Amino acid sequence: MSHTTDTRTDAAVTRWRRRLRAFREETSTAALVTVGTMTVALLASLVGFLLASPLTALPFAVFLLAAGVGWIRHQGLTARVVTFAMTVSTVLILLLITAFIAVESIPVIRYGTATAFGVPVPGLRLFTETRWDAVSEPIRYSMVPMIHGTVMVTAIATAVAAPLGVAAALFLSEIAPGPVREFVKPGVEILAGIPSIVYGFIGFTILSPWASDQFRTTGQGSYLFVGIVVGLMALPTVVSVAEDALSSVPESMKSGSLAMGTTDWQTMTSITLPAAFSGVSAAVLLGVGRAIGETMAATVMLRGVPQLTKPLYNVFYGQETLTSLIANNYGNAHGLQMDALFLAGVILFITVLAISIGSQYIEWRMHRKLGGEL
Amino acid sequence: MAGATRTPLIREDASRPEAVAGLAIAVAVALIAVGIASLFGLVGIDATLGGGSGMTAIGGVTTVTALGGLLVALGAAVIGLGVGSALGYVETEPSPNAGLVATVAFAGVWFVLGGLAASVAFDGVLAWLPAGAATGGAAFVTAAATREDVGSTLPAGAVAVVIGGTFLTGTIGPSWVWDLGFEQQASLTATFVVPAATIGCGLLAGWAAAKAYGGFGARGRRMGAYLLIYVNASAIIGVLFLLIAFTAVRGIPGLLTGATVAPGAGPTVSVLGVSVALPVSVPFVMNGVSLLNDFQGVLPAIVGTVWLVVGAVVFAVPLGVGAAVFLTEYAERGRLTQAVEIATNGLWSTPSIVFGLFGFTFLVPRFGGTKSLLSGMLTLGFMLLPLVLITSREALLAVPDEYRDASAALGVSKWHTIRSVVVPAALPGVVTGVILGVGRIAGETAPILLTMTGGTFVSGDRAADVIGGFAFTAQPPFVTNPELLRATTALPFQLYALITAGVGLGDNVSNPTEFQWATAFVLLLVVLSFYAVGIGARYYFRRRLRHE
Repeated sequence: MSHTTDTRTDAAVTRWRRRLRAFREETSTAALVTVGTMTVALLASLVGFLLASPLTALPFAVFLLAAGVGWIRHQGLTARVVTFAMTVSTVLILLLITAFIAVESIPVIRYGTATAFGVPVPGLRLFTETRWDAVSEPIRYSMVPMIHGTVMVTAIATAVAAPLGVAAALFLSEIAPGPVREFVKPGVEILAGIPSIVYGFIGFTILSPWASDQFRTTGQGSYLFVGIVVGLMALPTVVSVAEDALSSVPESMKSGSLAMGTTDWQTMTSITLPAAFSGVSAAVLLGVGRAIGETMAATVMLRGVPQLTKPLYNVFYGQETLTSLIANNYGNAHGLQMDALFLAGVILFITVLAISIGSQYIEWRMHRKLGGEL
Repeated sequence: MAGATRTPLIREDASRPEAVAGLAIAVAVALIAVGIASLFGLVGIDATLGGGSGMTAIGGVTTVTALGGLLVALGAAVIGLGVGSALGYVETEPSPNAGLVATVAFAGVWFVLGGLAASVAFDGVLAWLPAGAATGGAAFVTAAATREDVGSTLPAGAVAVVIGGTFLTGTIGPSWVWDLGFEQQASLTATFVVPAATIGCGLLAGWAAAKAYGGFGARGRRMGAYLLIYVNASAIIGVLFLLIAFTAVRGIPGLLTGATVAPGAGPTVSVLGVSVALPVSVPFVMNGVSLLNDFQGVLPAIVGTVWLVVGAVVFAVPLGVGAAVFLTEYAERGRLTQAVEIATNGLWSTPSIVFGLFGFTFLVPRFGGTKSLLSGMLTLGFMLLPLVLITSREALLAVPDEYRDASAALGVSKWHTIRSVVVPAALPGVVTGVILGVGRIAGETAPILLTMTGGTFVSGDRAADVIGGFAFTAQPPFVTNPELLRATTALPFQLYALITAGVGLGDNVSNPTEFQWATAFVLLLVVLSFYAVGIGARYYFRRRLRHE
């Protein structure tokens, strides 16, 4: 096993060397120097920026100069190098996000060390206790109430967005006649465009007082209505991704079924939906990801008190989610409390990233199954 | 496709049972509408029908009772349609059973119904589980074991009859309250339960009636499913219109406070050295907040939003388009493209507040240690990047390979082909994607919350003036711009601050509620105008493509 890996690595290295040599041979020395200067200067400015050095502008100016010279003299090569650097920067940004928020959360993970079976486990206490109190002793930063809140909101939002979103996707991709489609599709897009703070504002001024009145709760803010609003906000994501999946089912499959004399609804339920099932589930997953990360509506509509609801399934009270914890407390937090906010960010980031990668894997499998090119 | 099943033969054959089914669908839709109206408080459930208060034209029937009566009639009609078909009075083509979806739905509804009834009846006893299981099981058996005409109508009609019955008999009257007995106190009240139950029954009975209308079987199920899907689509569009119209109605008075239209009424603007006084004055978008103003406004927030968008676009668009060009034109499919794809999709789904945290720990310390406009611009730029990359890549991939081949056949180098053939052909898609992406980030609050925001009420002369702020210095970093390094405000943050400001609001503006709604409306206008332009551009380019 390792032998084949070695051979493969060797082959890759040889290929690289050959390509590098070919590149060196077909490129003039002047072009090589320019490109080399650009690369070194860009790396230097990156390092300078990471070290927060005021001298960062210097290498960056060198890069701009070299790129300018390269653009005039060797445009093709320069363009290639610059676009390559731009491509790498997207990966770099994701890595930087991961690194920076993870580093900030380390102190509070250390603070939350608890022993299990005689072994100290860092961060364990943050998930076994339920107390969040940053002011009075004992100071504890438990993530449990916020995870509970996020789970409640996401579950309700998914219950709203998944069925309605898939039905709307079916409508847009299979059922709606042309003019209706041309009208409804931009409508769904615009729904995605309404800023979350506007949803939150309407929820806060209209929905929350109304709900508090209806359900005779003490004070305002309930997971139920935050979940419904967040579900409405996740809906467009589900609709557009699911619609893509449904319309990527080959027309020949649908026509084949219709030619057997089925109704179009039978074709949808027994051919189109099963064929696009993985794509539709990827859409629902992405919708879940949106719901988990939704911040402003939750921040404005919830109570902002980090504790569990009593009983746990009491959806008529809304305390705090991971996102609203950050938005509510960043202003007066410092030290360990700020690090705890970063930990909440890390939990959000990892969950959503896992969901994103999972849905990409599902979509990739679907494309392979349907024989489409990817 | 759909036309195949809708032959004129069936239309002409509209017999009496079909008319009953059609009427039942109409009643169900009407009940849903009434339910929604009373949920919003437009129709009071204890209101007396038949004239004003005191007038007892039909014996002082309250809305609850009337709804109950209608529900019972609707349920009875639905059951009648099913039984009529089972007894052979109506010619239908039912399947052997009601189907998986209907069976699960009926079992679920009846489980909840039975469980709730038992909990209300025997308060606190664990009787809801067996009761729910009994009713749910009965519904399951009915739907699964009997022929479709009975199996798909009887459970649905019975729900409407039972719930309508409780309304009619006054078991659930206008003042009905059920304390859930939670530690954090909550109750279900008639004002919520009655409309919600009416909507639920309307959907269920309407679905069953639509199936009966289509004569059960494959065609009936198509009818039922289409009814629900059309209701769903119109509900989504309805919510959209409601949101926009509601914000507009509440926001316009505040927006137009003190607005005048007269020659020379507005502020003076100078274009190319010629000063012109605008003929329109809208203080809300032309003023900041200060003691001397007659009318307060949100000008600094608008200016802040504009600069944020400009900064994010300047940062993200070259980066995203460049990366898309490299990925589609230069890179071979392999590890790198895969990694970039995963990273892009990861960035796309990263929560906005995480971008805020990142900006707070990464950018803020590097730009002078305080919140600044520049940090906000870059944070939003990070958010815009994946949107630009994904849409640009799609646009570039949609350019036919013939274009590239034709250009290469003429001996044009690869880069020149990209620059003068591929990118211009993909430009419409790129532009549309950028506009829609900008619409999305212009309304974002969470990322700028941690990176750039300052005060709630900013005076007009503190509006960011980025162009005038540039200055050159002898020390590194050689170029400074205090405007970029200062905290400012933006529309979405302004709205958030207005919501959280609470009591202190009244000291600064005369009518806080109006001010809030007007801010929300202006924000909505700004964002939706980006969307309108983006969607309009897409239509324009697509139509031009079709003409060519």
